[in-house]
Amino acid sequence: MKKKIRIALAGNPNVGKSTIFNALTGSRQQVGNWPGVTVEKKSGYTRTGVYEIEIIDLPGTYSLTAYSADEVVARDYIIDEKPDVVVHVVDATNFERNLYLTTQLMELEVPLVIALNMSDMAEKNGTAINRMMMKKFFGIPAIRTVGSRSEGLEELLRTVINESEASPHHEQAIAYDDATERRIAELVAVLKTDPALIARYPPRWLAIRLLEGDENAEEKIALSPARKAALTVLAKIDTAETEAAMADRRYEVISALLPRVCTTCVRTMNSSDLIDRVITNRYLGIPIFLALMWGAFELTFAAAAPFSAAIEAAMSYGAGLAGSGMEPAWLGSLLGDGIIGGMGAILVFIPNIFILLFLLSVLEDSGYLARAAFVMDRLMYAIGLPGKSFIPMLIGFGCNVPAIMATRTIEDPKDRLITILINPFMSCGARLPVYVLLAGAFFPAHAGTVVFLLYVLGIAVAIGSAWLFRKTILPGKPAPFLMEMPPYRLPTLATSVVHMWDRGSMYIRKAGGVILFGALIVWGLASLPFGVEYGSAGSFAGMIGHVLEPLAAPLGFDWKIAVALLFGFVAKEVVVGSLGVLYGTGEDGGTLSSALLADPHLGPVTAFALMAFVLLYLPCLAALAVIRKETGSWKWTGFSVIYGLTVAYIVAFVITRLGYYLLGGI
Amino acid sequence: METIPLSFLEPGTEATVAGIRAADGMLKRLVAMGIHPSGRLTVVCADRGSLIVSVAGSRYALSKGMAMKILVGRTGVKVQ
Repeated sequence: MKKKIRIALAGNPNVGKSTIFNALTGSRQQVGNWPGVTVEKKSGYTRTGVYEIEIIDLPGTYSLTAYSADEVVARDYIIDEKPDVVVHVVDATNFERNLYLTTQLMELEVPLVIALNMSDMAEKNGTAINRMMMKKFFGIPAIRTVGSRSEGLEELLRTVINESEASPHHEQAIAYDDATERRIAELVAVLKTDPALIARYPPRWLAIRLLEGDENAEEKIALSPARKAALTVLAKIDTAETEAAMADRRYEVISALLPRVCTTCVRTMNSSDLIDRVITNRYLGIPIFLALMWGAFELTFAAAAPFSAAIEAAMSYGAGLAGSGMEPAWLGSLLGDGIIGGMGAILVFIPNIFILLFLLSVLEDSGYLARAAFVMDRLMYAIGLPGKSFIPMLIGFGCNVPAIMATRTIEDPKDRLITILINPFMSCGARLPVYVLLAGAFFPAHAGTVVFLLYVLGIAVAIGSAWLFRKTILPGKPAPFLMEMPPYRLPTLATSVVHMWDRGSMYIRKAGGVILFGALIVWGLASLPFGVEYGSAGSFAGMIGHVLEPLAAPLGFDWKIAVALLFGFVAKEVVVGSLGVLYGTGEDGGTLSSALLADPHLGPVTAFALMAFVLLYLPCLAALAVIRKETGSWKWTGFSVIYGLTVAYIVAFVITRLGYYLLGGI
Repeated sequence: METIPLSFLEPGTEATVAGIRAADGMLKRLVAMGIHPSGRLTVVCADRGSLIVSVAGSRYALSKGMAMKILVGRTGVKVQ
């Protein structure tokens, strides 16, 4: 007979919950070395013997007080869905800090199992946690695990199954002082008059939350007949004072038990601290950050060049083959111009994207990116953003969609909205093909520097916009910075490659889906109506382009570029695919960059303006969808579109005028 | 014991938290992270008021605004 068990993985941020989740379920969810990687709960399955186990990976939380959106997700799941067992994943290298959450989980009265994760690293540091004592004092089984090497996971599952069948309750986890206990008893008595309420929530837990002035708990009793009596009890006390006293008590219990469970949990200055002193130094911090980013871009271009050249050669060969001997001619054109021309233009950039993603993953896994957020905080604060919004901005270099989702860790709603609105200006991987193509063609000797400049331009526009929003539509001051700095870890090749693949494979899938589709539509529009010369002014694409041309002309863009930009709304890589189709790179086997260089309308200035325009105009379709979802407002979504277009137009216009003036040509 | 805002401490000083003047939500977050009255912390590095502190083996970065809200008493111990 099959048995179903539902377990939830809970724990502090950055303790390896996602690593354990992936190892158990065999999926490859993103794992990061900064707090807040999992912003939504995710579920997966594993089976062992007759048991089918559903595993829910919850966002990392320091407590269950529901302070920010991700904490609410974790807490509501445990309270409302009542999983059979909660696995509390604990960072064994950092044992003491995790225990506060343990005390709160115990009060929730769900069966608990502790996974002492990263035990290998803890043991290397000389930390020994006595699991027998854990069981004795906390009444919770603790398992030694190393998520990254799948150690201890079988034992973890066995223990989970035992616990789910034994279903022990951890009531009275912490005895508070007498006065608090009396209040708790009073409240519990009141709450018990509403059977429906206590069927949903453990009464002692609810009483404790109410005493701590938890608004979310107050909402839970809002409709209960016991509400009035409960409020009468609460009116007698000062919740702020009670809360402080209760927190003190939890820490008292923790510090009393800690030496018995872990004799070696001592605090010392270590090498991490020394590295921090250099990396976050007031003079060195920002130069180090800029140097690292610039180095990453330079390295990307240098290392990707031979791979790109090989792919490009293969594509031209394929296009030439399809274009010459194929019957009927339209099929040859579809294959050569449409598919190979459009897709090939994008495939060429895969080496660049993967290498850049790999380098960003290395920086992230090492623990550096969280420091970068701290280093940037002072600068960010000055322009009206919290330092925390720096992380979504950095993720934006990969893709704006997960970046906008990552803003959930920002508590203040205004801070969050501003961070969402400026995120599309962070240059995502999809824009890289456009830069690589144009910078490679028009600035062959300085391609790395030009691309670096575009990233800087994106950051500058994002910062300028944040400043503008603070001065006008969203006034206020950002919340002060408070963030955990993950320990430095030597990034392993395997994890960095997995990260790179997680993000990069999305790009390949997109290339096969929406971008292929986009390229085919462009090909169709460029070939129809029948009999028209491919990609000429008489085709549908040409007609659309000519309608748009008066708008694009002041920026120095002709109709082909106008069409490419229009289709770029679907996904920005489509700009390259469309140019590939419209410039007909397939026919003569020439490359797109040589076709672009041959176009008399294009020169370095126009190319740079075009890159800036692609960087700044409309967020792509997927980014818009997520902006709508995260802001919950069509108004802000529409604002984001109009604002992006306006800024792009102005910036591109300024670049062309300035460029013509300074260089005297296009 | 004389209390001063956390942001005035120098790198390497250990201190005991005397009080936190933060709004309810922020207070809860700090307490959950291990920064609570009578808890101990060590300043790892400091730069014009914003700092990184080590608390029970974890490191937290705080901006000056945040560090001004946390009052500490020096324990006089320098950790190396």
